This record gives sequence, C-alpha cells and structure tokens, in this order.
Amino acid sequence: MNGWFGRCLRVNLTEGKHSIEELKPELLEKYLGGRGLGVKVYTDEVPPGTDPLSPGNKLIFSSGPLVGTGAVTGASCNVVTKSALSGTIACAKMRGHFGAEMKYAGFDMIIVEGRAEAPVILSIMDDRIKLSPAIEYWGRSTSESEDRFKASLDNQWAARETFLVTIGPAGERLLPIANIVSDRFLSVGGAGIGAVMGSKNLKAIAVKGQHSLEVADGNRFVQVVNTMINKLNSAPLNSQSMTQWGTAFLVGLCFPKKILPNNNFQHASVSLKQLGTDALESAFALRSRGCFACPVACIKKTEMKHHVYEGKGMVPTYLAIGSLGLNCGITSLSTIGTASMLCAEMGLDPVAAGGTLATAMELVEKKATTTDELKMDLQFGHDDGFLEALQLISTKKGYATRLGVGGKALAETFGRPDLFMGVKGMSMAPFDPRALQGMGLHFATCNYGPHHLYGYTFIDELLNVNEKLDPWSTDGKPALTKLYQDTTAVMDSLGLCNWLLMGLKFKNFVPLVNSCLGTNHTADDLLSIGERVWNAERLFNMKAGFDGTHDVLPRRFTEEPLSDGNGGGKISRVSEMLPEYYSLRGWSEQGEPTPGTLRALGLEDS
Amino acid sequence: MPRIKVDHTKCTGCRHCEIACSLNHVANTANPRRARIRVMKDKNRYYPVLSGPFVDAACTSKQFIEIDGHQYDMCAFCRASCPEKPFFIEAETGIPLKCDFCGIPPAPSCVRWCNTGALELVED
Repeated sequence: MNGWFGRCLRVNLTEGKHSIEELKPELLEKYLGGRGLGVKVYTDEVPPGTDPLSPGNKLIFSSGPLVGTGAVTGASCNVVTKSALSGTIACAKMRGHFGAEMKYAGFDMIIVEGRAEAPVILSIMDDRIKLSPAIEYWGRSTSESEDRFKASLDNQWAARETFLVTIGPAGERLLPIANIVSDRFLSVGGAGIGAVMGSKNLKAIAVKGQHSLEVADGNRFVQVVNTMINKLNSAPLNSQSMTQWGTAFLVGLCFPKKILPNNNFQHASVSLKQLGTDALESAFALRSRGCFACPVACIKKTEMKHHVYEGKGMVPTYLAIGSLGLNCGITSLSTIGTASMLCAEMGLDPVAAGGTLATAMELVEKKATTTDELKMDLQFGHDDGFLEALQLISTKKGYATRLGVGGKALAETFGRPDLFMGVKGMSMAPFDPRALQGMGLHFATCNYGPHHLYGYTFIDELLNVNEKLDPWSTDGKPALTKLYQDTTAVMDSLGLCNWLLMGLKFKNFVPLVNSCLGTNHTADDLLSIGERVWNAERLFNMKAGFDGTHDVLPRRFTEEPLSDGNGGGKISRVSEMLPEYYSLRGWSEQGEPTPGTLRALGLEDS
Repeated sequence: MPRIKVDHTKCTGCRHCEIACSLNHVANTANPRRARIRVMKDKNRYYPVLSGPFVDAACTSKQFIEIDGHQYDMCAFCRASCPEKPFFIEAETGIPLKCDFCGIPPAPSCVRWCNTGALELVED
C-alpha cells in the first residue's frame, strides 16, 4: 500500500498479549492516518466518560502516511488518548525519529490498552514484539532509561538504530502535568498523556525495523521533494531563522508586539536584552539536530553547564523561554535552559509545569498563600526557588504534591481560580491573546486546550507570511483561525511538521501527498479532511462534558487591559468573534455541530 | 574527479540522505536499510557514512580516536561492511551494497537532498 502499511499493533497489557490487525482502507482514505485515524479509532473504541487513568483508557501512537517516505519533515507521530489534565481528547504530536522507525517496524499505529501488573517496556525489534519487565527502569529519568535500555541490547549496532519513547518519574507518579519524552529529550507537544502511560505501567516503547515503505510515483515524488527543498531555502523564516536559532527566534519578533507574557500574563514583557537571539548565541554553543527527513533542523543541542544540571542538553525553544522563563519572571537563559532540561528528564510538560509554577507565584504575590505555607521560595524572578520546585514536583513528596496537580486545581485549592491562566484545565502557551486576537479565539476553541501548535494563526497575524493582518483587530480572524485549525489537523494526519507553513503555502504540499499516496486530492479536499478531524474531536469533547460554555478565556484577558506599551487598553474580544466562528464552522449558537454539518463531513454515524 | 565530501560538523542526523538513496536505487521504495549511505551516531555526533568495500572477515585494527577528550569508536565511521558491523547488506537478498555515485549529474541523490551542507560534491 502506498505510504501506509495498513497494519496496526494492538497490545493488551492486562493480558500481556498482542495482536496485529489490518486497518480498513476506507478509514485510511477518510482520515488519512496520524491524528485523524488515531482520533477515529479512539472515539470508536473508548466511551467518552472513561476515567483517563483507568485501564479502560487507551493510548494510541499513530504515524501519518507520509512519515518515513522521505517527504519533507515527514516525521510526526501523534499520541491520541484522553488527557489526564483536562479530560478532553489529547492528540499530542511527537517529533524526532520514533514515528518513522515505527513505520519501518511495519506499523501505522500502536494501540496500548489495559494495565500491566508491574512496570514493563514494550519493544518492537525487527518483528519480535516483546513485553519485558522494567522494574530496574522505574524511577529513573528519561535519558537514563534510554541509555540503560540501549546498553542492555546485545548488538551495539542495533542499539544505534533503536528509538524510544519514555516517561519520566512524573509520569510514573501519575501527575496530570506529565508528558511523554521521545528521542531522549524531546517533549511530546502537550500535557496530560504521561500520566496515562504511567497508569498503564508502561515505562517505554522501543522500536527498530527494516520493512520497506512504498510510494506511488517515486520519480515524481523525488522531483516534488527537490522543489520543496529549493522553495524552503528561499523562505528566510525557515531557512535562516529556524535553522539558526530554532523557534527561539520568535522571541525577538513577539516582544515589540507585546505578545510575550510576563509574570503569569499580568503584563507584557518589559526587557528583551537578556533573551534575544544574540543572547542565545552567547549563552550556548548551538548544534543543529534534525527530526527525521527535516531540511530545517530547528532542534538545537548544546552542552549545559549549570550547577543544577550539567551535560547534554537542549537550547530553550520559544515555548520554554515563554512558559518556563518570562511567565515566571525568569530572565536568565541558563536557568531557563536548565529548567527545560529538568522538565525533559523528569517527563514534565514545559507549558503545564511553567503555568503551574506561575500560578503558584501569583498566588504568593496576591497573598492567597505564602512561601512559608508552600514550603518553597516561589516568587516571580527567584531562579533558585523555581528550579528547586521543578525538581521537587515530580517526587510527589510532601508539599510538592500540591503543585503536581496542575495550575487549575492549585488555584482552586487556595480559593483564587481566577489566577489560573488556561482553558479547559490546560495552561496557556506563551502568546498573549490580548495582542493576538486570532490566537485568542483559537485558544478558547481548541479541542485540546490553549496550545499554539494546533492553530498557527501567528504565521499571518504576526509574521505576515501569506496575508498582512493587524494582530489587534478582529477582522477576518474567525476565518483565519478556522483555516489554521483545519490545516494543522490535516498536516498532523499526514505526519508533516506545521512549522513549514511559515515558508510554504499549504497548496505546495498537495503534489507531495498525491505523488506519495497515488491519490488525486485537491487542497480543498485535504482541508475538508482536516475539518472532519476537528469536528470528530469536538464531538468527543461534547460527549465528555465540554460545550460552548468552555470556549472562554480566563477573565484577565477579557477584563484587564494590557497596561503598557502601544497595546495600552487592549483586551481580547473573543466573545465578539465566537458567533462568526461558530457559523463558519456550521455549528449552532451553543457551539454544537449541526446535523447538516456532520452529514456534509461524513460524521453522521458518530 | 568529483568526490563526495562529508563534513560531520554540519550533519543534523535527519537521515534524509538515506531515503534519497533508497528511493533512487529501489523503485518507489523508502527504506534506510536498503540505502548505500547511513548516518551513524557516536557520542552525540552524527557521521554520514558512504558504503565502501564488503569484507567477509572482521579486521584486527579496531581503533579508538580521541578528539577533545572524547573517545570515538573508529567502527562508527569505517566505510566497510564486515561481520562485526553488518550494515550495507540487502536484508532480503543478502547482497552487499556499495555506493555507485548515482543521481542526476552533477549531484548524487544524497547530496541533492542534504540541505545542511554536510554532504557536498567537490572536484579535485
């Protein structure tokens, strides 16, 4: 089959058995694969009311059809489950090499169900599928687990070709803010899934394979990839900014527009000197590392030298600088880098962990609690207290237990739920919705909490790549938000990286898809698949208890205007944009997909 | 005579060259294990290795090289395929693979897809 293998591995941990199933061709056509197919299989098999941490929940790893074929940036594997943090559907995206290696192992999808009695590691090595005891790995950090597993293999050459996803101590202790880590230190984008893996007593999955993937029209496919590489090289944002500094280059662009939040979104950042790209280059020696088949290579590795963490590390990304840095009042790049490595080692999600600590810091600042009561020096701008708290969170001992539950529960414990900056229980990614109206609308409506990786509206709002839009205005933003949400959904389903949209318009990907899969899709066909996926997720969330009343931003963004700079007096006008967004999506005024919309998308039976 | 120059400091480990090679040699097939170039990893560095001669016995000259205080395993960037390091062998047929400098002139397929400059075609 072109692009796909059409095979799915189902592992039942309760019984310790596995089976190999065929994926239905009509489903592959309708949902493509990756996120779309994962969501379809998950929503079909798991009742919406399932407790995320119960054995009844399932964890689906799903690679798209373009993953591993050599398609530019075809590396993304999606993890679909019910989030332990928010209770919504989670479709977190994994970078690195795991997704491609999973395809070479012969599987488009791995479904993990049940719960093992004792910790296990699932290894899929050249068609030998095995569950081995992982008691000696339990409690160890992600990189240590990976090194131990590779050292345990007889053949050192096989070890070099093996790729792992692991959970850290945070996931083992079922913290809702835990995450899964792939390829040693790449956080899978999104919180609430590490605990699900931990609840299954599954420490890691290792894959290595040697199956061949087929593409429909090899000659044309190679030509299309050549053209795309050339086009990417003439796009400065991808070929220069991303290649040189990773996503951290956004810091310098977001700062003058007041998008970078400071001190738990209380105001826009005031100082940039210590955090720009120049500072990044002088703080770390950058070495580029690429995900599978990526010509951009935005991951930057370095040697960390900090008294808390020393060794191989990753240069902080935009996300880390925003969430673990400025939003907690931290402006030292070496502290931020250390914090992001601690998150990776412990298996914490940087956005959720940063958001939780920022909430705690504001609780202290607003006198809802004190540092003595928390037994931690959590105050804005206190580097040492911040790093200490990050180290303690995943131990779940004593006072740190309160922090591990996530920002929302923490703010409620101290009677100030208004100080939690997030939607549907998930902490907000570091983009201030007051300064980016389209992103604000996306944050409010996203099926998986306020995360910018599910709707790249800043490409047009901030970077003005395809259209020049005013970030402060609401004109055309509902259509923009819908467009990027659908585009992201279909790119995830194909297994491509969305950051390429900064340099290539979506229509450039259509010949890539068609020459690889042997289909005749147009850009509109593909976008309607994206819309189908988005609606399928929305339907699941509605059955799980989320409706239009959850599509709101925290009060701070709609009531407290930005105080400083040229954005003075601006608030987020989400409620004005919502009716237009709902009607564009074909949803009722309460935000429910209408029967007509579902019929048009082929979702009437779900 | 044109040659492929490898600059490992520029390699990002994305393995796009492996797929370029595989698609070019086996019709419509993407599989790194059928490629004549592989990206090896040792001590946090990546080395694109072009397949060289096939030898049916392991050599006796295994060496370690020390650069900047790190010890590197010579086997990681040795181009030969041997019983100790069974790379560059077709899994299905057992036939050894060797780089044949393919591709549309002037660049072999791996060089065309390498975007970082780790692989480069040079005249000497």
